[in-house]
Amino acid sequence: MRYLYSILWKDHSRAHLLWAFLGTLAGFVLLLSGIQFYLDLKQVLSENRDLLDPEYIVINKKINIGQTLGLSKAGFTPEEIEDISSQPFADQVAPFLANQFPVSGYTDSEQFPDFYSELFFEAIPDEYIDVKSDDWQWDPIDGTIPIIIPQDYLNLYNFGFAPSQGLPQIPKGVISMIKFRIRLKGQGQGNYGDYTGRIVGFSNRINSIMVPLDFLEWANDKYGYFEKVDPAQIILVSKDPTDPSIIRYLDEKGFDTIREKLKSSRMNIILKFIISFLVVVASIIIGLAFLVFLLSLQLMISRSAEKIRRLNKLGYNFREISRPYIVLLGILMVGVTGFSLIITAVLTHKFSTMAEAWSLDISASLHGIIYGMAVGLIALISLTNVIAILLSTKKLCK
Amino acid sequence: MTIRFEKMIPLPMLEQDTTGSEVWESESVLFEQGKSYILEAPSGRGKTSLLSVIYGIRKDYQGAVFMDNKPISKFSWREWSNLRKKNLSYIFQGLELFEGLTARENILLKNSITGFQLSHRIEEMAQTLGIEEFMDRKAGILSFGQQQRVAIIRALCQPFNFLLADECFSHMDHHNSRMAYQLILEECSVQGAGLLLTSLNDTEFLKADERKRL
Repeated sequence: MRYLYSILWKDHSRAHLLWAFLGTLAGFVLLLSGIQFYLDLKQVLSENRDLLDPEYIVINKKINIGQTLGLSKAGFTPEEIEDISSQPFADQVAPFLANQFPVSGYTDSEQFPDFYSELFFEAIPDEYIDVKSDDWQWDPIDGTIPIIIPQDYLNLYNFGFAPSQGLPQIPKGVISMIKFRIRLKGQGQGNYGDYTGRIVGFSNRINSIMVPLDFLEWANDKYGYFEKVDPAQIILVSKDPTDPSIIRYLDEKGFDTIREKLKSSRMNIILKFIISFLVVVASIIIGLAFLVFLLSLQLMISRSAEKIRRLNKLGYNFREISRPYIVLLGILMVGVTGFSLIITAVLTHKFSTMAEAWSLDISASLHGIIYGMAVGLIALISLTNVIAILLSTKKLCK
Repeated sequence: MTIRFEKMIPLPMLEQDTTGSEVWESESVLFEQGKSYILEAPSGRGKTSLLSVIYGIRKDYQGAVFMDNKPISKFSWREWSNLRKKNLSYIFQGLELFEGLTARENILLKNSITGFQLSHRIEEMAQTLGIEEFMDRKAGILSFGQQQRVAIIRALCQPFNFLLADECFSHMDHHNSRMAYQLILEECSVQGAGLLLTSLNDTEFLKADERKRL
């Protein structure tokens, strides 16, 4: 058999095979490292938040001039809520319930300056609220309304309002001790109730004044006389806030949210775009290199046509004659796989050292899928080439 | 094994004058294993075509050819490949040697797929034919007569039921031709094989069971 190899390998074009080899190698390195980096960065993006903690995204409609003039509504219709719930990224959706009666609050303490304000309340089921407090309970007998306000409100007061007005700054613990008078007014003269309000927590998630849902339902029942309006905000729970389709969906529908929370979603879009571009370029390179491979081997076979016919006359069949070509192909393909994995691994290692400097935790080793892809692609290219080799040697044999 | 022609004639021979041919004019021609046949004719009477049809490298013919009563036109590539390794051996008129390989490598190229002859037997045959000292030279620099002897030894490096020899002594002197013919007949009788040897009209000195004029 070794004579067969020395006869048929003589007719190869070293330059063609070298270029085909280098081309495939370059394409592979580009493709594999592109996907490796994508997987790494994706991991980093999702690691920036607690993996077990799904993201709570509060969505509202963008306010336009139509709403200002009262021509269109800023609330979510039941159909819109239904549509959001049906999106694949939405694991849970809950609308905010608003008060349907006037609310006002004022301070009733000598230690604090007088304060009076019209208020509003909103409520959602407890599981969507990020503040856990034993006081977060509505007891009609006790009549104390637990309230959660956004952390931002307190910051606004402590770091903006109070210093400029010469007022004292108030720590969280003290705020919780302040009792407010809360007046809920029903329809008609004298139909009102006075309650005590107490701030029991500060939310980083929800930008509203929250009361327990059972309280608001009870109060709406008791005092409510406003026409029921569609909820202005809804809360969306998504296990994967990096999912770029969230941003796309919101943009498309004209909904708004605190964009910061969806930063990783946006970065994901950009990342996906860059990686798709890389994959397209890599695929073109691999495609061209594959063609060069195919043509080089075919050229080699047609250069050896006379020898192949002769070998066939001596009793070699086309399968035996194809073997040296297939072995050559195999050597080159194993070379491409090996080298491209080595180069990609080196690049990955370099990248992870660089990323450490930016305090990003990127794996220094290749993802399993990278090996799978390299082997799969090589198998595909090899198989096509083997078929082409067998077909063309068969054509020369009788 | 038998080879039978039924009104078989290669297409190019249709345009030739075949009057008096004992093959092309016959309804049926039978070649039997164990017998030696010498097919004589001047150039252009279809000697090579006849052997090529039997060997399956020519398929342009009229009529039919049967091997053990099976029509060879139905044979697959696998069957042809096996036939050429186990049942049919061919000494080509054009020799079909690889010039870049040595005489020995040319012979081993065949023997390595059949594994038929032991290396000392190959050396023995080379000695018989007087080419043992050329065995390590490239085939391309040997004389045509020497190359013919290499091709003969190569053809004997496989089992066969029929040996097809196409003017294989054309460039050898009488002495060498006799030695080579002797070797061929020996191998044929060891294997119990038939011989189809084509030749111009100058081989009266070769004995055969049957002579046919093409």
